[in-house]
Amino acid sequence: MPETSAPITVPDTEKKEKPTSKSRPDRGYLVICWNDPVNLMDYVTHVFQIVFGWAKAKAEKHMLQVHNNGKSLLVRETFEKAEHYVHQLQGYGLHATMEKEE
Amino acid sequence: MKFVPGPDKDTPEPVHIFRLNEREEALLLAMLRLYPVLETSHHRISRDPKAGASAEQRLLEESMGQLRAAHRRKVEALFHNPQRFFKDALGERHLVLTAAQLEWLLQVLNDIRVGNWVRLGCPDLEKPAAMNMARASARALQAMHICGEFQLALLEAVK
Repeated sequence: MPETSAPITVPDTEKKEKPTSKSRPDRGYLVICWNDPVNLMDYVTHVFQIVFGWAKAKAEKHMLQVHNNGKSLLVRETFEKAEHYVHQLQGYGLHATMEKEE
Repeated sequence: MKFVPGPDKDTPEPVHIFRLNEREEALLLAMLRLYPVLETSHHRISRDPKAGASAEQRLLEESMGQLRAAHRRKVEALFHNPQRFFKDALGERHLVLTAAQLEWLLQVLNDIRVGNWVRLGCPDLEKPAAMNMARASARALQAMHICGEFQLALLEAVK
């Protein structure tokens, strides 16, 4: 999903090995933000901009998905990164979880 | 409380300036004294019921506990800082926040807002009739509303 993975920077690795199916990180964890009636729309947009470094338009798009559809898939990531994002989002009080992709 | 756009954004450490009156200052401090409201057990790492007892769930609760303790120290420091609000030559009060201070203040205010919402039983705020008014505490509703107003004022600075 290029539109959600674009802002994520992957740290440089020292070894320049050609990725194989074994060495490729398992980006099978979904970070999902769920709707609630208490978090302000402007606040949610701001949090997405801060946590993911997204432009306002993209952050607003995801905020509106949360508001209109009940949830938004924010990023598909490795276990560690997904966990990191969920901690950050919940630190801001958003209802975000990480789910293993089926 | 109103954001004051100004040239201070060009300083080495950009700051955001807000003008507020005496009543707003007292309200803001009264709200901050409520922090924290949200319980760490409120946080859920996953919707998978099996995740409730997982190491990741415990780590999340631990992490949120540490974050709240750090924020609590910052709130305490704000209370003990005589320079937290300054008056200009015209006697108007100002609150000056760096970007980092604005972020933790947003988190603190949202904790109070969401925490009070949880205490009220997570009512649908867009359908007031659905709220169980018998259980609703006027103080909790008031705190939610006031924190929301302060959040919107802070967000004006980052728009």
